[in-house]
Amino acid sequence: MSTGLQSVLSEGTVREISEGRDEPEWLLQQRLDALEALDDLAFPAVIKTPGRKWTDLADLDFESFVDPLTQSDEKDQVGPSGVEVLPFAEAVDAHPELVESAFGNVVDPQTNYLTALSTALFTSGTVIYVPEGVNAEDVKVRTTMNSRSLFNYTLVVAEESSSVTILERQQTGDEVDGARYYSGITEIATGENAYVQYGSMQDLDQETYNYQLKRGVTDTYGTCNIVDANVGSRLTKTSVEVELEGDSSETKIVGAFYGHDDQHFDIDSRVWHEGEHTTADLVTRGVIDDDSRSVYEGVQNVGREAWDTSSYQRENTLMLSDESEADASPKLIINNHDTEASHSATVGQVDQQELFYMKSRGVPEQLAKNMLVEGFYVPVLDEIEVEELREDLLEVIRARLASRTA
Amino acid sequence: MSSDQDHLKETDTEARFEFKKEEKSAFKSEKGLTEETIRVISEDKDEPEWMLQRRLRALKQFQQMPMPTDWPGQPDLSEVDIDEIVPYIRPDIETRGGAEKWEDLPDEIRDTFDKLGIPEAERNALSGVGAQYESEIVYQNMQEQWEEKGVIFMDMDKAVREHPDIVQEYFMTKCVPPSDNKFAALHGAIWSGGSFVYVPEDVTVEMPIQAYFRMNSEGMGQFEHTLIIAEENSEVHYIEGCSAPKYSHFNLHSGGVEVFVKEGAHVQYSTVQNWSKNTYNLNTKRAIVEKDGTMEWVSGSMGSKATMLYPASILKGPGATDNHITIAFAGEGQNIDTGAKVYHNAPNTKSTIESKSISKDGGRTNYRGLVHIANGAENSSTSVECDALMFDNESTSDTMPYMEIQESKVDVAHEATVGKIGDEDVFYLQSRGLDDDDAKQMIVAGFIEPITEELPIEYAVELNRLIELEMEGSLG
Repeated sequence: MSTGLQSVLSEGTVREISEGRDEPEWLLQQRLDALEALDDLAFPAVIKTPGRKWTDLADLDFESFVDPLTQSDEKDQVGPSGVEVLPFAEAVDAHPELVESAFGNVVDPQTNYLTALSTALFTSGTVIYVPEGVNAEDVKVRTTMNSRSLFNYTLVVAEESSSVTILERQQTGDEVDGARYYSGITEIATGENAYVQYGSMQDLDQETYNYQLKRGVTDTYGTCNIVDANVGSRLTKTSVEVELEGDSSETKIVGAFYGHDDQHFDIDSRVWHEGEHTTADLVTRGVIDDDSRSVYEGVQNVGREAWDTSSYQRENTLMLSDESEADASPKLIINNHDTEASHSATVGQVDQQELFYMKSRGVPEQLAKNMLVEGFYVPVLDEIEVEELREDLLEVIRARLASRTA
Repeated sequence: MSSDQDHLKETDTEARFEFKKEEKSAFKSEKGLTEETIRVISEDKDEPEWMLQRRLRALKQFQQMPMPTDWPGQPDLSEVDIDEIVPYIRPDIETRGGAEKWEDLPDEIRDTFDKLGIPEAERNALSGVGAQYESEIVYQNMQEQWEEKGVIFMDMDKAVREHPDIVQEYFMTKCVPPSDNKFAALHGAIWSGGSFVYVPEDVTVEMPIQAYFRMNSEGMGQFEHTLIIAEENSEVHYIEGCSAPKYSHFNLHSGGVEVFVKEGAHVQYSTVQNWSKNTYNLNTKRAIVEKDGTMEWVSGSMGSKATMLYPASILKGPGATDNHITIAFAGEGQNIDTGAKVYHNAPNTKSTIESKSISKDGGRTNYRGLVHIANGAENSSTSVECDALMFDNESTSDTMPYMEIQESKVDVAHEATVGKIGDEDVFYLQSRGLDDDDAKQMIVAGFIEPITEELPIEYAVELNRLIELEMEGSLG
């Protein structure tokens, strides 16, 4: 890959990051392996139809964004008692075996160029460890990015019969001139009969390029739910993936986005049904306004041995301006006939009849429109268990709608 | 497969669709594709210079274009070796450009079409029938009443000679240029035969116009071209049937269909295709629809080893409408990759796509679709519905729709469902005295009803027969 990163990316840089953090040998090795693999790795797959590619990550000028040795962020990591929410470096000391065995297990660091880059360079991170039988509500991790580039890593391990709800928030702090790059990888290991809801709220400033991959794997009877809310950034490529490995395991992937100005969101949700009797429900709702653009791909992949699968997907996009563009591709790949699967996608504008009804009840047009847009998000808001995430999202939606009227 | 084969032999449908004739031709071009081959084809067809030049330009484009290889989940085309294909075979008929009367056809050709039921269909008072055997149309007839109104229905080769002005203007220029894709370029270079339909302004052709194409020789390619021009406020329904018997070697079918729907016109293009299971069916079909025009695509894709076919409509004028109804059936070793493309390029345009697929015995069906709504195509609406029925766990069914929306005042909806044949439904029918096979057949017949409804009865019957046959094979 010729990204012009060679000048800043070297074994020396990676060693400096690792040694500065006093990391064990295995982690340094993982980083170096990822660095070495960069030459052979491709950028993450984006939707393309013959002759057309919607998001061109390879065109990004990484050299001007990535400055691995000046990474700086502020982190707020809290959780109730019984669950451990630790900065990555601390977790490596406190639970060396757990971290070593779980790291890179759910997301192969060498999945693509950007995951490998993230593995080689990450300095910021969180390990959320939920021991067997523990119920933990409202784990909160807030990351404020203060440098030109930041590589973040989140590892969630939920042991047998535990449950946890997590909010992870990404935002930008100190002003930086020009563009920035944020990269985040999240791995979620869902143990037998465990329950995880991992919610992410991305509200980076509109100069920031953002790449995120959140991936969960389930054991028998496990539930791994992921909420992915995207409102910030200049360009976002985010992937949410769940592998339903254990029999009778479940997932619900909830997506919400709101694009305005010239924001670009490339969002995909993918689920693999591998065990028997697994259930997946994918719900995404997004609004795009001004010159913004959304690209959505949802994949429901039912494996040959995935007997008795139920898999559903819904994606709805609301377009508020003529200059905006929305592309959608909900894909079904079915290899087992003992399957009930459906997907649907719609794109449209605010319902004229509903608008007319509200106006006839005396609500001014702009207010009525805003209420309808807010109401459009209700099916996804309803799924969010961490109150703060729900409120944050609603607040951004309201602020955007208000600024629209002004 | 073996049980399929055994069963095929016992049914009369085997006789109808899988029989083959001893190859007997007047001219057979060399295998492979060179400039020389093209010159020979063109000369043999007595073509004007401009057509030869178009062929040669298309050949150049074909040679420069890569094979499609990077489509997610696309059929494997590695076996398609153009050098192994005989691009052109002219059957041995003395009368150039087709026989006038059915009786004038050589016995074995007539016999072939008899078995396919073509004269029967004509006796049932269809308005016109063209039958293509190998690369050329051998028989054509149209009721005089349409001819008097200026309707032209003839074989494409003849049209090049007799209506050069129209053909030169429309043939692979505006609708399907050879540069569209590799197989369109191949088609542009070595096309042969096909149908030319011209309907003048304000004329309604009340009976469907029919053509039947058949591949009879091993290792050949069939590249028929269909050009339909429906002038303002005219109406026509064109039906095409295709079949090829089975050979050990592979066959290539790469047809081209171009439809021009002028202002206020209405064209329905229906096809039931049943290619032999070693045929690669790689077609390009497209319609350009002007203001308030309506284009309807009705197709049943049966047979073939691999099909890649996505009939497209370009809704160019305001108020233009497109309807797609398709059904695909994939059995053992078959990969049917088909779908629909609609470009909404003007305001108030509408499209509906209804796609059904059935897969069994390891067959693979894929719906690959594209709906594009251009900036400015306000008040456009589209609805896409895909339903897949799976019989067993060896089969695969994928749905890959793409929606590109550049306009906000639109209404876009896509829905797809996949399911196995409902145990409860089967149980209910069994409780009413049907055996398992009949129950399943009845459910499948219900599943494909939206398409059989759109076809004239002969074709609906043929489609039902074909599907029954495939089903019996799987269940017997």
